[in-house]
Amino acid sequence: MKPTGRITPWLFLAPGLAVFGAAVLLPMVLTVGYSFTEWDGFGPMSFVGLDNYTRAVGDELFRDSFVHVIIYIAATIVLEVGVGLALAGLITMRRAGMWFRVAIFVPVMLPLVVVAVLWSFVYNPDFGLINGALAGLGLEDFQRIWLGDPATALLAISVVSGWVFAGFYMVIFYAALRQIPAEIVEAAKLDGASEWALFRHVKVPMIRGAIGVAILLCVTGGFQGFDLFFVLTNGGPYGATEIPTTLLVKTVFRAGDVGYGSAMAVLLTAIVVGVGLMYAQARRRSERSR
Amino acid sequence: MRRGQRTLIAVSAALALGVVSSASGALAQDTTLRVAMGSPGEAGIRVWDAVAAQFEEMHPGVDVEMNYQDDDLYQTIGLPNLLSGRNAPDVYFEWTGDRMAQRYADGYGADLTEAVTSGPLAGIYNEGVFPFASVDGKVVLVPHTADVTNVIWYNTAILDEHGITPPATWEELLVACDTLDAAGVVPIGSGNKDLWAAGNWLSHIASRVVGEDVYAATLSGEGVFSTPEWEEAFGYIEELAAHNCVNESVNAVDDNAGAQLFFQGKAAMHPIGSWLVSWAIDENPDLEFDFVNLPAMPEGSAGDQDSVIAVETGHMVNPNSENIDLAIEFLALVNSPENVLAFINDAELAPLAESASAADVDARSARLNDLFKTGAAVVLPPDTGYDVEMALQLYEAEAAVLGGQATPAEALATLDERLGR
Repeated sequence: MKPTGRITPWLFLAPGLAVFGAAVLLPMVLTVGYSFTEWDGFGPMSFVGLDNYTRAVGDELFRDSFVHVIIYIAATIVLEVGVGLALAGLITMRRAGMWFRVAIFVPVMLPLVVVAVLWSFVYNPDFGLINGALAGLGLEDFQRIWLGDPATALLAISVVSGWVFAGFYMVIFYAALRQIPAEIVEAAKLDGASEWALFRHVKVPMIRGAIGVAILLCVTGGFQGFDLFFVLTNGGPYGATEIPTTLLVKTVFRAGDVGYGSAMAVLLTAIVVGVGLMYAQARRRSERSR
Repeated sequence: MRRGQRTLIAVSAALALGVVSSASGALAQDTTLRVAMGSPGEAGIRVWDAVAAQFEEMHPGVDVEMNYQDDDLYQTIGLPNLLSGRNAPDVYFEWTGDRMAQRYADGYGADLTEAVTSGPLAGIYNEGVFPFASVDGKVVLVPHTADVTNVIWYNTAILDEHGITPPATWEELLVACDTLDAAGVVPIGSGNKDLWAAGNWLSHIASRVVGEDVYAATLSGEGVFSTPEWEEAFGYIEELAAHNCVNESVNAVDDNAGAQLFFQGKAAMHPIGSWLVSWAIDENPDLEFDFVNLPAMPEGSAGDQDSVIAVETGHMVNPNSENIDLAIEFLALVNSPENVLAFINDAELAPLAESASAADVDARSARLNDLFKTGAAVVLPPDTGYDVEMALQLYEAEAAVLGGQATPAEALATLDERLGR
């Protein structure tokens, strides 16, 4: 049956649009609105123009938080995407059993807060597994205050992130590798390609698209990271693991500075969207040039 | 009129009548009194629920709705959300100091002066508890308990074993640190990941050195932190680090992990508040422990060396409530001698109501309460007594010095810069 009037499609769209408007658009518009105010969340609100944005640009903590998140993203591209790719390569080469794949994937199914609590025990300098194992092996010199030393804290969190998400990317790459036509692999083998050469020069180039998507997910997901940082270090020690989201939450929920926190949120969103757009444009250019 | 139409009208009339009668019944039936607080723990919840049940029995038609939130959630976004929501609480827990004053300024604190002088709350308290609960001479909070937020708890067996007497002076504390450190025992266990745990303690040290007036003025936004007085105060934090007084992991673990070092006998001392008593008894019933107030700082320090860092807590009444009188009566019941006794015996709290002094409180809790009541200077913790953002930055600066990441001068300069002073 064809729609009988112009309004009919809109009637069907209305429920979805209403939910989207109330759950996504309205909070976004309100956040932008709040970012021009000084407000503690429930008292009187005063308009301050662009003051919150000026403050954010000059805020050393906010600027440093972006440096930290970029380092974290760089580390996770290696520990999540890189390790995920390596694992996918291994399980396709060696035809690893389903249990192995499930074991690698299990951390992805755990809530990140649970993961963070588990790893806080692993990293605990006084009672933790790592320092305990090092002591048991007579390697006390290698013991560290893993989450309390600015030199190791960010890397320690990146390792946890890698432990969780490497399995996720492994599954993506495994699915992509399985799509490679068997005759191409056979042809390479007949030409004498080793497993490594086959992986490096045939399989990886053929799943370039999946790798690109994985990197984009890793980058945008990195900017949105929060749980691990919040539970493991809460931005410490001495601000060494402060990222925009933890700083934002502290600003809004602890200091009660909703206006400034909203400005931070708007800037963070703009940067994430900007990175996503630049990445998409770069990919389009790269595809056109091929 | 057709038969069908008559039937429709009759059904509609019956439905309408039903709706009207049920609505009017609802109006006549229940009044809801909403009470909000951070979770007082399982034992505390049982006492509060019992008080609510008593109140409902005394006031037929009144339903008391208790809302216990996670402590951190309540302290941050929980309470503001409740207050600005449609079903705002009639009674809510609050800390005295800047938070309480802010609530009052924002229009969420009723003037309770009359209620405590000649109303249902009269005669419950000693007059000494009201200055903390007042804004501009008006009582705006009904006191319940006082949390001494920091003393030095010590493991009596460990100190005895190493021939150490509980430190009464700063010099004695440093000697105790050296002795214990040499013996392979962590002198002071603390978990400062969230910054407030050691932050309160270190701020108390600072107040003893710079003096209570300078402490209050600087934390209130007057002047800068980069002064010789504050640098001297932070120098004592540096001394703690130099003498290995505190566990290396201090800034990496949370307050719970810090307390576990003490509960498990790995640390000889633990600087934290009055709530440790029931916590320690739960975690390690065999632990023998006691406390001393912060040791006196060296001669020349400007503050009262008997000062105590503490915060009075209690309940405010929402002036926008339609049940203000009921709310006040509820708080009178909460602080009645019978319920004060229940809070002491069942929740191991030490309420401020006068009737508590006759009860059999844990000796350590009673002495803690005495610390608060003796008349020595009371220093407010930065995070409840003053602006929270300032408090967080102050704690960060103290943690940086304690962790050896910054000198006192550097930490104070960074603090001023971040506060825009």
